[in-house]
Amino acid sequence: MKIYNDYKDHADFLTVYVREAHPTDEWQMKSNVKEDVCYAQPKTLEQRIAIANDFVQRLKYPVPFGIDDMTNAANDAYSAWPERIYIIDEHGRIAYAGGMGPFNYHPDEARQWLASRFGEVAHPDAPEATPAYRRDDG
Amino acid sequence: MRTIAIWSSGILGILLLAGFVALSVMAGGPKDALYMLRYALPHMHRGKLHPGDDAPDARLLALNGKDYFHLRERAGARPLMVVFGSYT
Repeated sequence: MKIYNDYKDHADFLTVYVREAHPTDEWQMKSNVKEDVCYAQPKTLEQRIAIANDFVQRLKYPVPFGIDDMTNAANDAYSAWPERIYIIDEHGRIAYAGGMGPFNYHPDEARQWLASRFGEVAHPDAPEATPAYRRDDG
Repeated sequence: MRTIAIWSSGILGILLLAGFVALSVMAGGPKDALYMLRYALPHMHRGKLHPGDDAPDARLLALNGKDYFHLRERAGARPLMVVFGSYT
């Protein structure tokens, strides 16, 4: 969310909610239990909408939000699962295509792209902005 | 010939075991490694989009569960950063 706060006056942001990465009925991580983020893989659109709303409300997530429907069209078009970042330029072309998460998910690369366009925003701590839902499962 | 087959099978088995051990270490345990293979691997894709490609469009649903919009509608006068993910 740091990236959003730093660059929302210069760029637009959109979070797209896709199929769950670690649902209870598939590959649940210990961290999910510890943080009480326990959801089964949604089987209906209503379930997906409910979880998305839980996320936004619980984390007070300010970034504009969209939900991929059960056809997973956005997920498939962008090879999004489990997490990925893209930047689309003003001409509708991919300007930055991030790697597949979690190991190749690097928000700092997206920040660098924005910084190269709009200038850096200094912070006393590390510049990498970690999305609220990203967990360290170590 | 039979000896070669036995040796080859043995070496392959050891390599597979070593790979599974490495995956277990990466995933956090043997159970996680199995679940990764079962649930995550089918959905993992390197990604086919590169800088310069036209950004695909997709229909998305708003949080209210009623209104739809298109991803490309949000791209326009300014760069659009799109973050894909889920809650878990």
